[in-house]
Amino acid sequence: MTNDINIEPKLLPGDLAIWFFIFMELLVFGIFFIVYAVMRIQNIEIFNQYQLTLNRELGAANTLLLITSSYFVVRAVQAIRINNVKSCIYWLYAALAGGMGFLILKSFEYSDKFSEGINLSTNIFYMFYLSLTMFHFLHVVLGMLILFAVVLKAKGGAYTAQNHTGVETGASYWHMVDLVWIVLFPLVYIIR
Amino acid sequence: MMLLTLSTYVLGKMGLTGITVVLLLLLTTLIKGGLIIRDFMGLQGVSLLWRVIMYGWLTVVCLAIGITYIISI
Repeated sequence: MTNDINIEPKLLPGDLAIWFFIFMELLVFGIFFIVYAVMRIQNIEIFNQYQLTLNRELGAANTLLLITSSYFVVRAVQAIRINNVKSCIYWLYAALAGGMGFLILKSFEYSDKFSEGINLSTNIFYMFYLSLTMFHFLHVVLGMLILFAVVLKAKGGAYTAQNHTGVETGASYWHMVDLVWIVLFPLVYIIR
Repeated sequence: MMLLTLSTYVLGKMGLTGITVVLLLLLTTLIKGGLIIRDFMGLQGVSLLWRVIMYGWLTVVCLAIGITYIISI
């Protein structure tokens, strides 16, 4: 008698559709990052000089905020998996607070730069810095809207331990936003 | 991940440059990104295709960045 042990790989968390969206977003950001790195070769002095004008403290704080926020989303998913809807909602609110903190700090950073007259056409470094981080900023906003939609549906009783695809879908997108920042922060703010 | 982030910040604050520092920072990024993919996104145990895509993205991006920085040094 033979024992055939067939271990099926587990499914991607959330809707498959969001994962195709995530892959597309990662592709775009990946190309953006590589183009930044390539253009830097041709403009090393400008990139090195103006990178020093960036606020690394705010960048690091934002990284910590997004990592923490992502952790809260993980806790939210864990909560709904054991049918603890209330806890899921509270963790999502905590994650949203982290996202809001990120947006606020980023806004301070932009305000600082714009008040100095810096814009997309100031020089090539600032063009990349502003367009990359603003593109990411928009994704944070979208991610927060998605998480908030999940909160509203959870409050309406839409999710249970047996059915919480929506929570995992929102979580997956939020983690993508975090993942992108994990690469963006050292690339734009630190590595020289 | 918090500690890795703080180490990245400290390295930046010290203004260190050079291939070693660049590689160290990219390694840190790879580790943090890998932890997000495996633990936060929960991709441990999913089909190999999806893991290859995600880890592949992270690896290719960090590798490409590393190569351009090494060329420029």
